[in-house]
Amino acid sequence: MSRGTQITLIVILVGLFALFYQGLWGDPRHIPTVLIGTKAPTFIGPDVETGRPISLDQFRGKVVVLNFWASWCYECRVEHEHILRLHREFQHDPNFVMLGVNYQDELSDAQRYLQRFGSSFPHVRDVKGTIAIDYGVYGVPETFVIDQHGIIRYKHVGPIVGPTYDDLKQHMLMPLLTGTEPSTL
Amino acid sequence: MKWISIFCCLSLLMGPCPSSWAGVVDESELDIQTREIAKTLRCTVCQTENIWESGAPLAQQMRNVIRERLAQGQTPEEIRAYFLSRYGDYILMQPPKRGINWLIWLGPFLLLFFGSLLLLREVIRWTRATPPAPPPPTLDERARQRLDRELHSES
Repeated sequence: MSRGTQITLIVILVGLFALFYQGLWGDPRHIPTVLIGTKAPTFIGPDVETGRPISLDQFRGKVVVLNFWASWCYECRVEHEHILRLHREFQHDPNFVMLGVNYQDELSDAQRYLQRFGSSFPHVRDVKGTIAIDYGVYGVPETFVIDQHGIIRYKHVGPIVGPTYDDLKQHMLMPLLTGTEPSTL
Repeated sequence: MKWISIFCCLSLLMGPCPSSWAGVVDESELDIQTREIAKTLRCTVCQTENIWESGAPLAQQMRNVIRERLAQGQTPEEIRAYFLSRYGDYILMQPPKRGINWLIWLGPFLLLFFGSLLLLREVIRWTRATPPAPPPPTLDERARQRLDRELHSES
């Protein structure tokens, strides 16, 4: 085997090993979403607490934070107080709306969860799972931001805590609510 | 009496079979189409299964969505395009044959082809580089006579 062939083989093997290594240690949650920049699917569903219908259309022209959660989801509990804090920080802005979407849950469990951990904004019940599928949800928690024009600008899989919370607040919500272009997260 | 008892027991044991067979036989065109589409879509919460085989609630809901859309008159291609627009290429059990994905489809064959070429080249080079086997040494007269003697004595 010539020197050149040997070097080529080594380069190919190192490349394959690097690919394998990256796949081994990469974040399995990171699957690039195809929904950013697309029109947010509209939906209508009953409010978890009151049963009254809630539609995304009624919040047209506002910045909407959509948080998918379930009572059986441990990470949702972890992020819950942060989600409530996020709502507290922006609730006085008339252009800000926060909506929870209760995913694959029993109604009684969801209601108990909200009574126990607190609720300051409406939550829609995804009865048939179609809202989650329309938003390409893999699991909970997942959070989306929809801008004033109804375009999905942000998606995060996992709890909104720590640096994720700060990024969402400072680099996405504050620019959108002040009419400036948010930076890419 | 004994044979009647055996017959009754066998009838009871066989009882559930016809109903389960009926479930398979009665599979409607809608069920078949739902199954065929569901087999091509990945269950996003179990990752290694398609949504037809998965028992996850999300997979069940996806199957329901397929069924509803088929009932509304959508084609399998339109339904697959819908899931693709929500989840991207990841939702497909088989990556689409375009762009970088061709590497996945053709990679193993290319590796096999170039590996075979390399192997062939090395074998040819090795056989050419190996000197031919030397001819056997010739017998001198003394050795030949001894060999004849031994052969004749054996016969």
